[in-house]
Amino acid sequence: MNPAGTAVALAAGLAAAGAAAGALLPGRARVPAVGLCTAGLGTAGLVAGAAALDGARWSARLPGLLPPAGVHLAVDALSGLFMAVAGAVVLAVAVYGIGYAAGRGPHGVASRGVQAALPVFALTLVLVPAAASVSTFLLLWETMALTSLVLVLAEQRGRASVREAGVWYAVMTQLGFVLLLAGLALFAAGAGGETFTALRAGAPALSPAARGTVFVLMAAAFASKAGMVPLHPWLPRAHPEAPSNVSALMSAAMVNLGAYGIVRVAFDLLGGGPRWGWLLVLGTGALSAVHGILQAAMASDLKRLLAHSTSENLGLVLVGVGAAGLFASAGHPLPAALALAAAFLHVVNHAVFKALLFCAAGSVARATGLRDLDRMGGLRARMPATAGFFAVAALGAVALPPGNGFISEWLLLQSLIEGLTVPGLSTAVVLPLAVAVIALSAGLSAAVFVKALGVGFFARPRSERAAAATESPPGMLAGMGLLGLGCTGLALVPGMLGDGLSRAVAVAGFGGGPPLAGDGLELRLEHLAASLSPLWAAGALTAGLLAALALVRVTARRGRRSHVKLWDCGGGAPTARMSYTATSFAEPLQRVFDDVLAPEQDVDVTPVRASTYLVERVRFRRRVPDRIEHRLYRPLIAAVDRLGEAARGLAPGSAHRYLGYGFCGLVALLLTLAVSR
Amino acid sequence: MNDGVFTELLDLACGAFLLAAVAVLWLRQLTSIVRAFALQGVALAAVAALLGLREGRGELLAVAAGIGLLRAGALPHLMRRALAAGAPGGDGRYQEDVSEARETRPLVNVAASLLSAALLTFLAYAVARPLVALDPTPVTRALPVALAVVLIGFFTLVTRRRALAQIVGFLLLDNGITATAFLAASGVPPIVELGVSFDVLLAVLVLGILTTRMRAAFGGTGIDDLRELRDR
Repeated sequence: MNPAGTAVALAAGLAAAGAAAGALLPGRARVPAVGLCTAGLGTAGLVAGAAALDGARWSARLPGLLPPAGVHLAVDALSGLFMAVAGAVVLAVAVYGIGYAAGRGPHGVASRGVQAALPVFALTLVLVPAAASVSTFLLLWETMALTSLVLVLAEQRGRASVREAGVWYAVMTQLGFVLLLAGLALFAAGAGGETFTALRAGAPALSPAARGTVFVLMAAAFASKAGMVPLHPWLPRAHPEAPSNVSALMSAAMVNLGAYGIVRVAFDLLGGGPRWGWLLVLGTGALSAVHGILQAAMASDLKRLLAHSTSENLGLVLVGVGAAGLFASAGHPLPAALALAAAFLHVVNHAVFKALLFCAAGSVARATGLRDLDRMGGLRARMPATAGFFAVAALGAVALPPGNGFISEWLLLQSLIEGLTVPGLSTAVVLPLAVAVIALSAGLSAAVFVKALGVGFFARPRSERAAAATESPPGMLAGMGLLGLGCTGLALVPGMLGDGLSRAVAVAGFGGGPPLAGDGLELRLEHLAASLSPLWAAGALTAGLLAALALVRVTARRGRRSHVKLWDCGGGAPTARMSYTATSFAEPLQRVFDDVLAPEQDVDVTPVRASTYLVERVRFRRRVPDRIEHRLYRPLIAAVDRLGEAARGLAPGSAHRYLGYGFCGLVALLLTLAVSR
Repeated sequence: MNDGVFTELLDLACGAFLLAAVAVLWLRQLTSIVRAFALQGVALAAVAALLGLREGRGELLAVAAGIGLLRAGALPHLMRRALAAGAPGGDGRYQEDVSEARETRPLVNVAASLLSAALLTFLAYAVARPLVALDPTPVTRALPVALAVVLIGFFTLVTRRRALAQIVGFLLLDNGITATAFLAASGVPPIVELGVSFDVLLAVLVLGILTTRMRAAFGGTGIDDLRELRDR
């Protein structure tokens, strides 16, 4: 049997075992058993994905499962890429999760329900890319949504914010599912079959209007899963409120499937979408990137910041996907393949560093009970390993060398600049703007992660909880170590992925040869005389840094060091309350983007009762609300609320009225029947 | 029995069946309404018996006898008893007026009700046309009558205020459904008919008790007094 097939079967078996262990095992044995099963499942997914990236193909049909249509599974290089990413994240996060959930009470993350749902969620993350028929895809997709909802609600006991997040998540994800269902049903009806093979064969027969409708429905559905503006409000709510291992899985593996869905349906099944559709995807991605990173810059809740950054990174991925579609629809396969490869590489990079960031944030939250950056500080000395991992991941996230995020964003910029050779007004206008957006988001993300790392981990602790923090148990550190290795590997030898990425891009069917090639040391862009050797760059950078340090050491010896007290303006020694907080760090940025962010602030002065000139207390409050959410969702929710209130008038309590509804309905139905015959 | 006589008799029975339903809408005195309902039970039993004689099926005759007993005998008796329990002086309590014995103010007045019954009968004929066209025998030609009675029964439920009138409306609906079964498919198996009859009997018993309790609680049986079943 094919290695991919064996691995998929193994993953399914391990998920079943894990779910059974979660539901049946008592207290202490539950978490390790579930964790081991889930880690094994992740490994199997990684192996299956790696085999597919290496060129293996596998497909299976199980008519006995899900009787009317049967379950169809198929693994190609494109599914392989996303399976490998999901598998790797699941593996590391499951190892982390053993330490994270151990010793928790009977409710919350270690409870039966949550532990039973975890392996099932992990399995759907790995298997969604392998689905090869509409019904299988929808089944896995919906199982993923439901199990993740259970996991988001894990710590809902006594916390209204978690329940609110759960409601937002449930509503948005079901809305997305409705769009998906409509789009796929329309597609399947037009193509005359529900397996992906039939869809592929029937796609050319669709009318342009039907193609456009299917494209828009599917793009909207998948964009909502990826947390794109304006379907994003669930993301900054659900990710922070979920337990950190679940946030890591959702943010690093689940949202990717939004990008996978667009690529699979639009490129592979539909055979390319309309030009305006791709412009829409590109525009949505760019808007989400800027919006996400701006909100992250304003956030002082660490996990909320990371969630907004997820929105930004997926936005960049969609910029790549949209650009690829744009180039392909203009008949330029080479820049299209390069843009798609850049998007894929960014998916991989983002998954690894974001999983590590969420794990580190969970480690901080577990040690201190804090998510608020303003009250952290001083954690580097108390949790050195967590701080180190956070730093490695943050380096990846800021898109500066030698981080891994830099490589994919550099590729993305290369492809957009290369795409300028594509003639047409839209490319001439859109591509420079997209380049500017990427540059802006890269710059802002540097500020965001300097804030997160510097304010959260350095300086002196600003609260007693932060001062009392201790390092996390070795299980969690081991999970983070795996992710840290992944980050470093991707940063230093991205060339290893070159062939696999080229195979995954080939599934999109642009033609025109592989976009990337690489060996251990170098990533080469074929057709474009450009290459990148991050290992050398990192080596040079490290050498330069060491030289500078040595120079400082040497020159510092010359002078005499003297210890004196700082001049404190007569106000006494500076306290921790005077140090920079996340809010104060973000203040200049907020001023720059004042018109865009429109912060709300109010000053409340309470005078002393005896005199209006003496002030007893000044309260200053500032909020930076999500403007899109305020302008779009508030009126919408209010309107739905009013409609619901009005609908109560339909049920006044009169039995005659209720009987009358039935009677009128029956008569109307019969009348239609009598007239239409 | 030759075809002509059979058709005449069937049409007569069906005509009486429909007429009884219309009479329920026309009459105001509750005792008269019950009497009209009993007449309809007789007509329904006659339809079943005619079909049984025609096809020579013994069990249909037995079903007809059962239907006659239940719908022309037992159910009207139960309803009369419920009425008598609430009659002035029946339980020694003072009654405000005699309106408890009459359907004084239906939601749709009698003239409009009769007009609606005519329209509903038209609708039933229009809807049943394709069904009749499938197999145009004298029996299926009478099918619209049964559908019309279903609709009239439903209409009674919607527009009449007294609990007893509601019971009769519900039973009209059920009579119509039974008649549809006889005319379209020569009846359902006796065991199903038995089950349905038992159900109806229970429903009337329960509704009878409910009527008595309503009278005790509110001093009347207008179901508009029951307004608890609502949102908020």
